This record gives sequence, C-alpha cells and structure tokens, in this order.
Amino acid sequence: MSLDPGQDTGTAATITANGDSKGAWEDPKDCYESGATTKKPKPGMMRRARKVEGGIFFPKPENAVTIAVSSRVLFRTEKEQKVFEQRGIEEYLKYQVEHENEPFAPGPAFPFVKALETVNAQLRELYPDSEELFDIVLVTYNHAHVGVRLINTINYHNLFIERFCMTGGSSPIGYLKAYHTNLYLSADSEKVREALEEGIAAATMFMPEKPIAVSETQLRVAFDGDAVLFSDESERIFKAHGLDKFFEHEKEHENKLLDHGPLKGFLESLGKLQKKFYAKGQRLNCPIRTYLVTARSAASSGLRALKTLRAWGLETDEALFLAGAPKGPMLEKIKPHIYFDDQMFHVEGAAERGTIAAHVPYGIAQKYPHQKPVDKKDSSTSK
Amino acid sequence: MNANIVLNPGVKQKDPSRALVIAVSSHAMFELGGELKLHLQKVKQEPEPKSTVKDNEPFREGIAFPFIKAVQQVNKKLLEKNANEMLLFDVILFSNDVSPASQSRVVNSALHYDLEIGRFCFCSDKDFAASLQSNHVKLFLSTDTDEVGKALKEGFPAALLYQQRGQGTTDTLRVLFSGDVLGFSDDMAHFLREQGFSEPQLQSISTAKGAMKEFATVIGEMRRRFGREGSPLCTCLVTVWTPRDACAGALKMLRGWGLEVDEAFCLAGAPQSPILAQIQPHILYDHGLHNARNVPAQC
Repeated sequence: MSLDPGQDTGTAATITANGDSKGAWEDPKDCYESGATTKKPKPGMMRRARKVEGGIFFPKPENAVTIAVSSRVLFRTEKEQKVFEQRGIEEYLKYQVEHENEPFAPGPAFPFVKALETVNAQLRELYPDSEELFDIVLVTYNHAHVGVRLINTINYHNLFIERFCMTGGSSPIGYLKAYHTNLYLSADSEKVREALEEGIAAATMFMPEKPIAVSETQLRVAFDGDAVLFSDESERIFKAHGLDKFFEHEKEHENKLLDHGPLKGFLESLGKLQKKFYAKGQRLNCPIRTYLVTARSAASSGLRALKTLRAWGLETDEALFLAGAPKGPMLEKIKPHIYFDDQMFHVEGAAERGTIAAHVPYGIAQKYPHQKPVDKKDSSTSK
Repeated sequence: MNANIVLNPGVKQKDPSRALVIAVSSHAMFELGGELKLHLQKVKQEPEPKSTVKDNEPFREGIAFPFIKAVQQVNKKLLEKNANEMLLFDVILFSNDVSPASQSRVVNSALHYDLEIGRFCFCSDKDFAASLQSNHVKLFLSTDTDEVGKALKEGFPAALLYQQRGQGTTDTLRVLFSGDVLGFSDDMAHFLREQGFSEPQLQSISTAKGAMKEFATVIGEMRRRFGREGSPLCTCLVTVWTPRDACAGALKMLRGWGLEVDEAFCLAGAPQSPILAQIQPHILYDHGLHNARNVPAQC
C-alpha cells in the first residue's frame, strides 16, 4: 500500500472545522457524503442509537451475514504501520495511545461497510423483527492499547460496529469461526489464506490511489468467476494447456456443473437478502446489486458458468462476459463497493483505475500468476 | 475460629503483604473422588468411611492444574528477571474438609505433583470468610459457580476457574476481566436494564467494579514487569452486554489503575461460550455475569 503524503501531519490536520474528515484521499469528492451525516458528528459524542421497536438490537451471529474486517482495511493506518515496522511494537503502541483522540481516516473497506449499513437500515424498516441483517465485526491482531483509538474512530464516523476482537497478536481464525463469519477482509494475505483454508470466504483489500465515488444508496458487489465463485478447475486447464484447450474443455463439459469457489457462499447470502427486498416489491430498486465480471465469453465458455449458477439457484443481477478484454473499464462503469478477483494482475489493474478491488488468494493462479502479454494483439493471455 | 493452616514444607513461603495471594478451592485442584465428595456433604463429625484407596495415594489432577502450572511459570519468569522479586503469586488451597486423613492426603497430593502451593487452609464453611481475610487473600477461585457466587455475596472478590479445553495452556496465565463491570456507569445501566438485568443485579455490578480494583492493580503491576510480547501473563477484557463505549471506559479505567490489557473483545449480545472457548482464560473475573439469572440465555 502506498504511503499517502496527505497523512504526514496526522489525520487531525485534515479534519475541517465542522468535523468532517476529508480523509487522506486527494479528491474531496469522497466516497461518502461530503457532509458526513446530516448530524455532523463531534468526536466521541453523538451516537446514532440503533433502536428497533424499543430496544438495542444485536443479531445473533448465526442468523446474520457476518462480515469481519480488520482495522487496516476499515481505516487507513499506513503511518502507524510504518512506526511498527521501523520502531517496533512498544513504540508503535505508545504512538497509538498518544494519538488516541485522532480518528483514523477511512480505508478501502469503509465505503463497503457504510453501504452494508444502508442496506441494514432498509431491512430493519421492512422486517423490524428479523435478525437477517449484515453484522460487521472488527477483527484485528492489534493489542487492546489501540482499542480506545479504534472505538473513538468508530464513534467519530458514526459506524454501527459494536462487536470486535482485538486478539493482541494471536490468530483471529478461531474468532472468525466463533462469529460464524461469512466474509473476512484483511490487509494481510497470510491471514486471508489461513481463513480460506478453514473454509471462510476471505479477501485481501487494497487501497486505490484515486478511488472513484461509489453509490451511497445501493450496495454493489462484483465477482470474478473462475477461482472466486467457481473452482479453479478451468483455470488449471488454461494455465497448463492454453486457451484452445480451455475452450475445448468448456464445450465438452458445458452441462457439467463447475465446482464451487470460496465466494459462492457469500453470493448466496447476498441473494437471500435480495429476495427479502423482492418479497416487498423492491426488485427494481433493490439496494443490493451483484455483478459477475468474467473473462469467459458469452458465446462459448460463459454458458457453463451461467448454467452452474442457475443450477445452484443463484444469479447475479448483471453478468459481463469480457471474452478476454481488460476488466478495468467495465469495473469503472459498475463502480462496485468491492470487486473480488483471484488474480493480482486484475486486482492491481482495477485499483489503478480507482476500483476498490480485493484479492482472493485461491487456486492455481497463486502458483502461476498472470504473465503480461508480449503481443498486444494477443488478448487471449488475459483471463 | 476453627481453621487449620498447614504450611507446605516443599515451598518457600512468600511475604503475604507483598505477594498476590490467591485462594483456590481444593475441589478445583484435585479430583476429590465420589466417596470423599459425599463425605464432605455430610456433617463433618461423622466417622470416616472405610476408604478403598490408600490414604496417601495422590488425588487425580483437577481442572485447576493448567492454572497452577501457568502461575508457576509466571513466578519463575518474575524471579528470572529479579531474584529478589517479592511480587509473586502465592497460591493457597482452601478446603472445607477437616478430617485429618483427607487433610494429609491433600497435602501429600500437592507434594506429589510438586505444586507451588504455599499453604493449605482447612476450615469449616462458617469460618470461610474469616479465613480468607486472615490469609490476606486477594481473590478466591473455584470451578463451582455457586461457590464463587457465595463468596461474592459475602463481599469477597471471587472468580471462576474456567475449564480449558484439552490439556489447557500452561505457558501463559490468562486472566479475563469483565468490561460490563469495569465499564459500568449510569449510561450503561440502561442497556443492562433493557436486557433483563434487575435493579439489585445492577447494584451488585456497580459495587463489583470497586471490588475488582485491588486485584486488577496488582495484576497490572505484575504485567508491567514484562514486555508486550512473550509475556507469561496475558490479560483480556470481555464486554458482553454493554456497547463499545463501556469497553472504552473499561480500558481507560484499567489504564488508570496501571493495567494495560493485551486483548479486548466486545460481544454486543453474541453468545459467549464460543468466544470464551477461543479465549481460554484461566481466571474468569466477571462477577458471575456469564451465569446471570433472569437474563435471556446467551450461551
């Protein structure tokens, strides 16, 4: 992650008089309302009460769609990371405590979390007694020293995060399981890998240099197909035997379902929540929208993907078959709050254009990463 | 007072004015066995039942074994840093069985396992509180929630010895404090009320905060002898029923008392058992909250 020069003086300097945080993003057209909220939160003071029919409402983890985020993706902590790397843990903790009353700026997962809250607000209106909501848990390796600063930051940004685990250096995996985590987002690919190995959907998030503005009213989640929603079986054929063999294989097995990939379950959870909106007549303006963005081609290899989704009873609102064309421009149009891909090449490409992309370190692509095409005409090397 | 204090000849006595004295129930330390348990329930004056087991055969290891091993590890590391360290754990065993045969069996068991138990206190139930007092006990531990509850009712700091999975951690002593108690305030009382806690319960939580101070302060001092990483003593804060601001309040309060906890968890009403099973504390100091009655079952 690049160190943003705007952070030199600490986040305090970038907070304007009325309490809005311009964050560390260059462009003042932030991803969330420029007026923060209509209430203009003061640090540590006003808290939106999360009330439903006369009480604070905490969903049971197994009923909710639990999203676990680490502090490094929810907020921007590059400066503090540097202190840790250069001066060690004791200095790092001291620094955090000294800056306790300075809220962190929003990180790559922040717009996503805000969008989840928007969906929750609407779900609560339609189904006041239901526990089928998004539940956001902050899961961090950090020591509890950083706790006060994190809580101050959550208060400052008026986030609805009441559950967190500060493991003080121990592995968070057990806690992810205890919370029935449906998706884990972290800045650390090792932890993400560990989570995937334990069967928990997970991805590494990266901060785009110039993030493009995303919707405040609709949660948009985009998925790559192979090795994300589906297994990497076809990816393997392609890597081992090339594009022609891949097409052949897909044609032959057109009616054989692909095996599932690490994020299939998460798409499923989104689908369940979408159906709740449809049931109340909100199909057209559903606040959740999903996209499949795949290098497969609509005419041929894409069929197998669609048939598989259909057989699983899943669907995405839009399916974009790029037939090998670069994904960047398409993602720019979609403006997802998060885009999942198994190949760093695509994640980096997306981030360069301002899309918030997350890497799913799963499957054969991790062993044999994408080779940049030698011949510009040969777009078939990109998948 | 009818209490019998037996010094452990195998353990160097610590200065109780400087050491952190913790009393542990003998039921927790050893598997006292069915026949003996039954015996303890009856009036102590009855003649001893015929035992099929030799009097000096050591009892089997109890749930508190990982705890005592971890405590020994902390003491060892403290002395490694400073051979003249006086701030050490001083564990004494409390037993309400006063029959001489059982007493010697308990002492011999401790010797057999080479446990760092400084003293054994054999006293009847009615002398329990007075004995804790006279032995400068800062915390009473038991695996029995009723025993813990009784001690708390008598105004004595008491905590649960949590049953760890499998073999249990022995290289680090893990101490858990309740954020609901430590972060308690008038604002937070309202959240607890909404979740079904009664006024007497709230009152009891409010006083518990003050009762925790002494123990937390000493643990804080001990914790500071070690660096942030590689410490044999690890402290956790767990907040279950009150929101994150209670946790922040608790963290600041503990910091004010000199204790910077290592780990912190906020559950916001999520079931505790799976989380506790991950945390695996030895000492669960939450004023019996995890076992609170009349609160919608969380576990």
